Amino acid sequence: MSYLQDKVRVNPAKELRHMNRLEVRNISKSFGGVQAVADFSLELKHKDIVGIIGPNGAGKTTAFNLISGVYKIDTGNIILEEKDITGFEQHEITRAGIARTFQNIRLFQGLDVIENVMTAADPYTNYNIFETISRLGRRKKQEAENMEKSMHYLDIVGLKDLAHEKPGSLPYGLQRKLEIARALATNPRVLLLDEPAAGLNPSEVRDFIELVKRLHKDFDISILIIEHRMEVIMELCRWIYVLNFGKLLASGTPSDIQNNKEVTEAYIGEEDEQCLL
Amino acid sequence: MSIQQLINGISLGSVYALIAVGFALIFNILKFSNFSHGGVMVVTAYTGYLSAIGLKNFISSTPLFVITVAVAALAGGLVALIVERVAFRRLRINKSPVIYYFVSSITMGMLLENLVTVFASSNFYSYPFTLGSQVVHLGRFTVATSDLFMLTFSAISLLLLIWVLYKTRMGVAIRALSFDVNTSSLMGMDVNFVIMATFVASGILGGISGVFLGINYTLYPQLGKMITKGFIASVIGGLGNITGAVIGAILLGVTEVFFIGLVGSGITPVFLFFIMLAFLLIRPQGIAGKIVQEKA
Amino acid sequence: MDLFVSVITFTCITLIGVMGVFVVTGLTGLFSFGQASFMAVGAYVSGVLGAKYNLPFPVAIAAALLFGLAAGLIVGLPTIKLRRDYISLVTFGFGEAIIAILNNSASLTGGATGLSGIPQLTSLWLVLLSAAACIFIVANFKYSKFGRQCLALRSDELAARSMGINVNRIKLTAFLLAAVMTSYAGVLYGYYTTYVEPGMFNWTVSAEWIIIVFFGGINSLTGAIISALALASLPEVLRFASEWRIVIYCVIVLLIINFRPTGIFGEYELFARQGSSKSGKGA
Repeated sequence: MSYLQDKVRVNPAKELRHMNRLEVRNISKSFGGVQAVADFSLELKHKDIVGIIGPNGAGKTTAFNLISGVYKIDTGNIILEEKDITGFEQHEITRAGIARTFQNIRLFQGLDVIENVMTAADPYTNYNIFETISRLGRRKKQEAENMEKSMHYLDIVGLKDLAHEKPGSLPYGLQRKLEIARALATNPRVLLLDEPAAGLNPSEVRDFIELVKRLHKDFDISILIIEHRMEVIMELCRWIYVLNFGKLLASGTPSDIQNNKEVTEAYIGEEDEQCLL
Repeated sequence: MSIQQLINGISLGSVYALIAVGFALIFNILKFSNFSHGGVMVVTAYTGYLSAIGLKNFISSTPLFVITVAVAALAGGLVALIVERVAFRRLRINKSPVIYYFVSSITMGMLLENLVTVFASSNFYSYPFTLGSQVVHLGRFTVATSDLFMLTFSAISLLLLIWVLYKTRMGVAIRALSFDVNTSSLMGMDVNFVIMATFVASGILGGISGVFLGINYTLYPQLGKMITKGFIASVIGGLGNITGAVIGAILLGVTEVFFIGLVGSGITPVFLFFIMLAFLLIRPQGIAGKIVQEKA
Repeated sequence: MDLFVSVITFTCITLIGVMGVFVVTGLTGLFSFGQASFMAVGAYVSGVLGAKYNLPFPVAIAAALLFGLAAGLIVGLPTIKLRRDYISLVTFGFGEAIIAILNNSASLTGGATGLSGIPQLTSLWLVLLSAAACIFIVANFKYSKFGRQCLALRSDELAARSMGINVNRIKLTAFLLAAVMTSYAGVLYGYYTTYVEPGMFNWTVSAEWIIIVFFGGINSLTGAIISALALASLPEVLRFASEWRIVIYCVIVLLIINFRPTGIFGEYELFARQGSSKSGKGA
């Protein structure tokens, strides 16, 4: 729907299919003496699904925080559809087309479910403060449009009937879905999912995998996933990056990674001859 | 800026330091700015006054001063305990968001201040001991005796506090609590007790500073407004940092004396405001503080 | 009858000030401790123009609103970038600075002895209409994208930024709206009492407004309104115990914070709109 067009949007021409949607070039970040991420690069193509895995503390969420602007990058660049967005403010990055969810769910507790989604779409409506306080002008129309669109996103994730509940009263799995609906409302080109399956039981995980497949089919969106649940990564991703101690350990297709000894060692440790049975 | 002014500024700063440190102690463990501290100061200042009035016919000036301070300090500890129980205990139990601590502390402060107004009216009172008019000569410079006393008392109190924080078990407990309340309690610490102890320490410091402020500015119910000086000092020094609070306080005292000399006491608050604003914009973490990055 | 008019007038003026606090502190979570100083700006700017230069009422009002906006910008621009604790300090300091400036500019403002001779042009109708208009404005603000974004950033600023919300711009908008409204309240005040002095606008006034909002519940506009109506008229009702008034306030607030932290009204809204919160527990 046209009213949700963003002015900061990078050019939406069809030729973009061939280039990388997102390029992360050699980003590094240290906190005091700790090098959280060192020289990390990745490529995300048009309508791609890519995974980032690694042991705890490997720097995965830090990488997301660097891409989405929560932390300032020490060195390196982020290129979104050929436009350098390095150093942009968080909200500018989102408006340029990168949305995310959070490892520890961060929903807006003071608002109900539908409002959480509407708020993400609010920056794109353009009625001003005078129209607001006087109730004249574009306010009514744009509010109605926002409501309709937000209900649509809730419907996609299956939360339409819970639109007026408070986020805190939803079960964990549904809260995660709400975060996704909210992120979608920003009309993103790239979606960062930070451990979206954490805390979900096996049937919820299956449900989630199907949801991502549907999103991938219906929207022009590239997805980057951090996960520990291997079934999610292996089934959804075309390509996987493995981080360890802030550095890239390996990258490749799911089967490459499954057979990569270094990756196994990083997660589990070295094989002990005596344990082989 | 003359040396004389510098000395006055440092004395003033030492009083502010007591306020700032009392403030910083609470900020450290409960992570909020305790505005009720001002109310505690006023109540204890008046308590000291009452005891001084009661005893003035029996004891001469200088010991009277010491006793007044001691009484005020004890009163401070007691009032602080009551404040913790009434204003903050339940918030901790309910795990209320920080904003409620704020409102509770402001309300408590207003309550104490207005209780004093009700019982003591808005008149100005002075302590019945005559320290203020005597001066001591150090070479070419004059220092008011009261200033000298305050400087000494403040220094001693702060040194005592540092000793407690770093050399006693209670001190270690307080410092542990300032890092992580939950973990401390999981490690078996009686969190309530340690928090009460911190409030008592803060209250004692508040009591002492209350008397000193009363000496400097005479006693009136709005004396509690001085809490903002302590807050400013804490902010300049780095919120929660004890040494920073002291340094910030001294700087504040010296700057204030300087401006009073320059433009008079009427318009000085305006200058101090702009300096503080500039500080907050240029170095928000204060002199000794660290910027804590929020994690996503 | 006179007493009746006076109580209603002061109540309505307080209500407008409380609306300002509701927007800034309730919706946006900024702890502004110096709202009353905007009232001072409005009262003095319009008062001086009316008393000393005999300018017509509408001109004085317009000037007061403009100065209120300017003051809001001066305080607001640096403030919104600071962390929560600092906001209360800076706004408090600003309030003190304004009072100091007013006290020390006797030639223009009458200094500590105050400014008198302001024409009494605030009628009962004006005050009632103004209060109703401000309620209308704030309600519309709350049930709009502005209100939503304010609540979002109050709830989780980092997440709000990540959802594309320009947090600084929204905070400033809320702050300026409150500043302008409160300045207007100052105009009404000055042109009713015909005399103003700096001491009328100190931090205790700001604190009282904050207490009123918390009493009603920071999440409830209806609560803030009813709370203002009840507590503002209390001084007259409790005239015999005026000394104790603030003590009673404080005790009530402490009770509420301890036992019903969401305020008496919680999340209740008289006219809950579609697409907005119904009753329930919130932050």
